[in-house]
Amino acid sequence: MGTVASKVAATIATNRFGLGAKPGEIIQAEKDPKKWLSKQLTPVTFNQELPSSNELLQKLSEYQAIRKQNKNNKVSEEEDKKANKTRQRFIQSSYRKVATDSFVQSINSDNSVAWRLLDFFSNHFSVTANGAVMTAIAATLEREAIADNLFNRFEDMLLAVSKHPAMLIYLNNERSFGPNSKLATKSNKMKRGVGLNENLAREILELHTLGVNGGYKQEDVIELAKGITGWSVANVSRDDAVGFKYRDWGKEPGARVLLGKKYKQKGIKQGEAMLKDLANHPNTAKYVCSKLVKHFISDKPNPQLVETLVKRWQKTGGNIKEVMLALIYSEQAWSAEQVKFKTPREFLQSSFRALNVKTVNFQQLFFTLNTFGQQPFQAGSPAGYSDEQQDWNGGNALMSKIDWTTLLANKVKANAETVMNNTLALSSSSNTYKAVVRAESRKQALVMLLMSPEFLRR
Amino acid sequence: MKRRQFIKTLGASASLVLMQTPTLAAVNKLTSKPKKVVWVILRGAMDSLHTIIPITDKSYPSLRPKLASTIANDILPLSADFALHPALKHMHGLYENKQLLPIVAVGSGYPQRSHFDGQDYLESGLPSMDHDTGWLGRALNEINNDTKALAVANSVPISMRDSEKVSTWYPARLKDADENIYEALMDLYQGDELLFSRLQEGLNTQQMAGSTNTKRKGKFVDLAKSCGKLMANDNGIDCAMLEVGGWDTHNNQSFRLNRQLNELDQGIAAIQAELGEYWQDTVVMVATEFGRTAKENGTGGTDHGTGSAMFIAGGAVQGGKVLGKWPGLAPEQLFKGRDLMPTTSTFSWIGAVLQQHWQLEPKNIANVFPDNPAYTTQLIR
Repeated sequence: MGTVASKVAATIATNRFGLGAKPGEIIQAEKDPKKWLSKQLTPVTFNQELPSSNELLQKLSEYQAIRKQNKNNKVSEEEDKKANKTRQRFIQSSYRKVATDSFVQSINSDNSVAWRLLDFFSNHFSVTANGAVMTAIAATLEREAIADNLFNRFEDMLLAVSKHPAMLIYLNNERSFGPNSKLATKSNKMKRGVGLNENLAREILELHTLGVNGGYKQEDVIELAKGITGWSVANVSRDDAVGFKYRDWGKEPGARVLLGKKYKQKGIKQGEAMLKDLANHPNTAKYVCSKLVKHFISDKPNPQLVETLVKRWQKTGGNIKEVMLALIYSEQAWSAEQVKFKTPREFLQSSFRALNVKTVNFQQLFFTLNTFGQQPFQAGSPAGYSDEQQDWNGGNALMSKIDWTTLLANKVKANAETVMNNTLALSSSSNTYKAVVRAESRKQALVMLLMSPEFLRR
Repeated sequence: MKRRQFIKTLGASASLVLMQTPTLAAVNKLTSKPKKVVWVILRGAMDSLHTIIPITDKSYPSLRPKLASTIANDILPLSADFALHPALKHMHGLYENKQLLPIVAVGSGYPQRSHFDGQDYLESGLPSMDHDTGWLGRALNEINNDTKALAVANSVPISMRDSEKVSTWYPARLKDADENIYEALMDLYQGDELLFSRLQEGLNTQQMAGSTNTKRKGKFVDLAKSCGKLMANDNGIDCAMLEVGGWDTHNNQSFRLNRQLNELDQGIAAIQAELGEYWQDTVVMVATEFGRTAKENGTGGTDHGTGSAMFIAGGAVQGGKVLGKWPGLAPEQLFKGRDLMPTTSTFSWIGAVLQQHWQLEPKNIANVFPDNPAYTTQLIR
């Protein structure tokens, strides 16, 4: 048995840094909470049997071909409808399976800190499952571009994300071509619809790197947009390829000036050089570190703590693992006061972990997260879901949680007092302790625990 | 026992004084029908030039050769210089009945092109951003009656923050918990001010919503319908806020805006239908965070711009004309050579509605919009 202090620290470790304690985790953590956390900075793993974005794009293209064939062969409307239904079902089920896998892995994980970090960056680089193609592939972005780079440099992650088909299609860069590119000069611009689209470039500057007050101007947006023209996605049937495709004939020629620096590189190298500089810009360090502290510790981040992370960032070339270690080993991150309200997803994750629920089917998961307003890959804007208390703590949101928790408590068999010891340990207030042990039924006791002020926060 | 009865019982019990914040009794004192306000925010920067079409501006067709051609044959005439997008059929009818004021070339004063900042700015209405207070919240604090306000959302949006009169409502999908659970949680939250007040608020709003617990679809039309239902009585909800996303049309704009505008149009029609006779005393204000580029881009869409448009609709409105000053779309008339120039302030128009419809004084408006005095144009009947 550890001391009172180490038990309190273990509760903070599992709750504030991880996704809430599974049974037994507090005992593991209390020996050395910081070391226990730092060991969790290891890659996350997924169900490898689920399709990749390339496989999904390939399959979508096959469905497209079938539809074309149907049209050419003038098949009956009924038959065509049937084919379309199969396609729709495939799209929906791919999205749900892939998104549900992340969630299920996270509730069973022994390195839930890494999963928190994945969720953080997945939301930082938010894409929305909207329309056929995006619905099919949105959920693959975090698996293919973010997870692999979770403990690398931010630069690596930014480049991987910016080249992923989901991001390119979501922010319309796959058809953004230079007004003076080979394509534009060869053909009739208007007819072929050749031109620049600023969307991805703007969000890279505003949301992915420098932040909205990061000191860039409209001219910088246009320059970056031109720098990444031709960053496109292969058309499976026409290009005989799948996934990211750089189209040199769509690239705007010439040197670019971004944030006062000149980029003379040619081809794909120009955009890459721009993104690398953006990833390593001091304002990016400040912006991302501040978001991290906000995510893990408090809606009002302690400037000193942010500074500690920024320093480590700059020292290590934006190495995310090092930055996380700086956070874990900062004393300011360990205050016993809980000031962070869980998002709906985190509330669900920690509830399932606390109750040792190991599987969730997608119907349940999507229904619940939809009710709470945080369905996977449905943020609806590239800014992602809010990470702040006031966006999740409305009266209506609380009522939904109570109703959901009551349903859950009906289904699981668990001793609320044991669950309380396993999750809040000595950190439960006397109010919560009393509410749990004096509840009129086992079911009510569980609801009291999961809806307690301590469990709703971290 | 149903939740409604449960709350009534609670209200009657002396030990639970805490349940009494929004009393239903007080509202009945109102002698005349309350003046209702609905605030609709379109998130994603609606392209005003594709919505209210400047038919006599010579630059328009050349700036948007593809976009203009998709609707040219079906636009709905407004004034000599403007027409509405074909999808806005119901709103066009309102215009003809003098219940709609389209306002062109408006802006909140937000100088950049970030959606999220732009929305926060539009919702807050202050010269420097404060996420804890919104213009509608402050306006509610300026009126001396029992008006209650409802955000159709899971949490209070910035527009309505800083007022005790506001609660949230969103259609429920889950079966209600047992009443003893709520009671026990009320006890548990005694030491936690935030959760305590949120639970109170949740219980009260559910009670007000009563049978309006329609199945949640999340579609604007359904939300607007429920919103209208909730407001169609004298029980005190005289102000509501709705939001519609999906306006960020960087590509394929013609198809997407057609869908969006159709949804908006049906939503306004639904509010009107549900409000019934209350529509006569209602003003609906519709605005978006900023405009889009005057010129279409390379992928059949438009990028982030500045000047946009807004709508003021309702039975209480003195409508039937297009307001605002048209700056023109010639290259030298554009803001920074690329956007529609905003010539009037969104906030001053909203201020004018608040002043005339809610009878607020200029000193009240100064507390709501410190930098933007209300226009004096008569907007309300």
